[in-house]
Amino acid sequence: MSILSVDDYSLDYAVPAGLRRALDGVSLHIDRGEVLGLVGESGSGKTSLAWAIMRYLPESAKESGRIALGSQPLTGATPGEIAAIRGKRIGMVFQDPGTSLNPTLTLGAQLSEVLVLHRGLAKKEAETEGEALLARVGLRNPAAMMRRYPHEASGGEKQRVVIATAFACQPELILFDEPTTALDVITARQILDLFAELQEETHVASLYISHDLAVVSAIANRVAVIHRGHIVETGPIGDVFARPRDSYTKMLLEAVPRPGHRIVATQPDAQSAPLLAADRIGVTYGRKSFVSSLLGRAQERFAGNREVSLTIRPGEILGIVGESGSGKSTLAKALTGLNPFTGEIRFGGRAIANLRAMDEAYRRDVQIIFQNPDSSLNPRQRVREILSRPLALYGETKGGKTRDVIAGLLEQVRLPAEFADRFPHQLSGGEKQRVAIARAFASNPKLVICDEITSSLDVSVQAAVIALLVELQRIHGTSYLFITHDLNLVRQIAHRIAVMYRGALVELIDVSRLPEGAVNGYTRELLAAVPAPLSARA
Amino acid sequence: MGELFARMRRSPQGLLGMILVATMLVIAITGPWIAPYDPETFAPLLRYKPPTFEHWMGTDQYGRDILSRLLVGARSTVLMAMLASALGTLAGALIGTTSAYLGGRADEAIMRTIDAVMSIPSLLMALLIVTLLGKSSVNALFAIGIAFTPGMARVTRSVALAVRKQDYVSAAIARGESARYIVWREMLPNVVAPIIVEMTIRVAFAVMLFATLSFLGLGAQPPKPEWGLMVSESRKYMGQSPWMILWPSLSIATVAIGFNLLGDGLRDALNPRT
Repeated sequence: MSILSVDDYSLDYAVPAGLRRALDGVSLHIDRGEVLGLVGESGSGKTSLAWAIMRYLPESAKESGRIALGSQPLTGATPGEIAAIRGKRIGMVFQDPGTSLNPTLTLGAQLSEVLVLHRGLAKKEAETEGEALLARVGLRNPAAMMRRYPHEASGGEKQRVVIATAFACQPELILFDEPTTALDVITARQILDLFAELQEETHVASLYISHDLAVVSAIANRVAVIHRGHIVETGPIGDVFARPRDSYTKMLLEAVPRPGHRIVATQPDAQSAPLLAADRIGVTYGRKSFVSSLLGRAQERFAGNREVSLTIRPGEILGIVGESGSGKSTLAKALTGLNPFTGEIRFGGRAIANLRAMDEAYRRDVQIIFQNPDSSLNPRQRVREILSRPLALYGETKGGKTRDVIAGLLEQVRLPAEFADRFPHQLSGGEKQRVAIARAFASNPKLVICDEITSSLDVSVQAAVIALLVELQRIHGTSYLFITHDLNLVRQIAHRIAVMYRGALVELIDVSRLPEGAVNGYTRELLAAVPAPLSARA
Repeated sequence: MGELFARMRRSPQGLLGMILVATMLVIAITGPWIAPYDPETFAPLLRYKPPTFEHWMGTDQYGRDILSRLLVGARSTVLMAMLASALGTLAGALIGTTSAYLGGRADEAIMRTIDAVMSIPSLLMALLIVTLLGKSSVNALFAIGIAFTPGMARVTRSVALAVRKQDYVSAAIARGESARYIVWREMLPNVVAPIIVEMTIRVAFAVMLFATLSFLGLGAQPPKPEWGLMVSESRKYMGQSPWMILWPSLSIATVAIGFNLLGDGLRDALNPRT
């Protein structure tokens, strides 16, 4: 008998315009000791399914079909029955441990609450048991961790506490909703290893929801591919990934970056003078407060970048990788004049020592594209106005009509000309990022800084955006500073890769010499932590 | 815009607020034409009349028709209050957004100055300004506008600080846009929604402030049919003809309530989460 059985389950949300279908005739089963990977892009309904199983749906939800845990039906269960099941028989691990833990309670209090509630332990016993659980999930010094508040623990430590809570009552089923997406590559690897170990030991049935096919292929036994609320394919992991039958699965697998598969053909001229040379760039955060300067107190300042030196040649794609907080974006902001910096930038032979020296010519030649197009495109401006600003500022219309130039810019990023009259919220995520790319290319720049530009996009959209960037690079010979945390992706397109760690540049290496040529310990660790690409396993 | 109206109509306070404010606006615009009598003509034989068929709301101490005076006075009361709020809002929004954009020491200096000005109660502030500028409706309008500016600057700055951190502002700075363009075109349009709500609620305060100033003899001057002034003048005759003070007071209250409800409705309608 399956632990979890979902039979022909459909879910609609009532919206002002009528009913919006979130899940359409979903059927899946998970047996004891089995890990089912649920793979889908954003909006495919994977999280809705997790909430439906947890019986935590908004009032606007209309459902049909059946969900059962063992022999007990969950659809139609009373609130009392559900309360007895949640946390005890079904555990859940969320995406971001920063928001799934209550910041005003100690980690210990949140863990022992579950034990007191569902296992009927006394407070003292629960604390002892909690420490044992924290030790089990690999936290050093569990007694001290019990007394800490969430902000005193790192992201990885918090996620371990959440996992300990989920496993605390030996549940029959655990739902994992993208548990490693908010974590750094190395931490994510450790969490996945921990998960595999606990899974082996407890034989719990797991539903592992993720958009990352590489992660799912590493830990799941079976996989279900969901597309627009509809399960298009289910089967053992090897079968589905090696011989996909559905066209959507094929497209998804095709889009996953494979480091061995280079998609950039150009090579920068090794002899040419560097386009941009950054010399010992340093950025510190924090303002000296008036009172402490009056009292002559020294103030600890946070270093975002420490003496970063690198060069970019014309037509080169330089990848910058590193975990969050390693100073990648800080460097991008310093180079575009958004952060004051120390050190010197030489651009095309001209020295730029500070923000004031960044004149119109520099700003025209160095453009930046941000991570999230929702925030980088002004929601109150039409695409036409967004694209016309660089034209007006740098006078790039060259006598042509602005209207035609904008149509040309949109054409260049494969968008129809009538998009000029739309607002950003009328576009999809990929289309918005294309508008942001068009804006960056409007001034015919020599260097474009791409700051994690694909990390908010789905994998299939990401592949198309990367293909577009590569195409633009081929046509214009633009240099890219490509910032990302996805090593597999950057190895496909970059000529050289710079690795950053805690604000410092630890390694600058030609991509052809990876992975063997890496000398820095951190780089090696990072390379080892990246989920192996699908082709290697399937 | 059409969707906003649809959302407003769904909430009871929004609907009632819209009806009240729309009625007031119609009266403010058409008042002088639909008024049955001249609001400033004395009629010694018709003094202190209670409501009759000829004079629906009665007459005052000089025999002037109260209904006509209210209809004509709506313009100087409601429209002036709206203008004063708009003035204060515009100035406050500009100061608040600029302060958030500049950040650092400049922000500190601007906001501490605003704090200092804010520590003076708005009525006292308005009194001070009118005393300095001289007694007149236009000066009262400026006084209320200035008195409202610090509060609006604060509200705007808190919203603008969040907008300042958005990447489209960073993109504009990286592009080398002027401070003027960034404040006017990138930031202000994105802080408008909460400001409109705040402004609507403040119109109600402005109506009462105007009435108060006129009541104290510092706003509109007799024989102008301004509502606050009407309340002030009829105070002496409250005993013998109470409707003289009743009607203008009720009108002021209705406008204040209408704008408050409209503000509440707008706040709900502009919030996408409700």
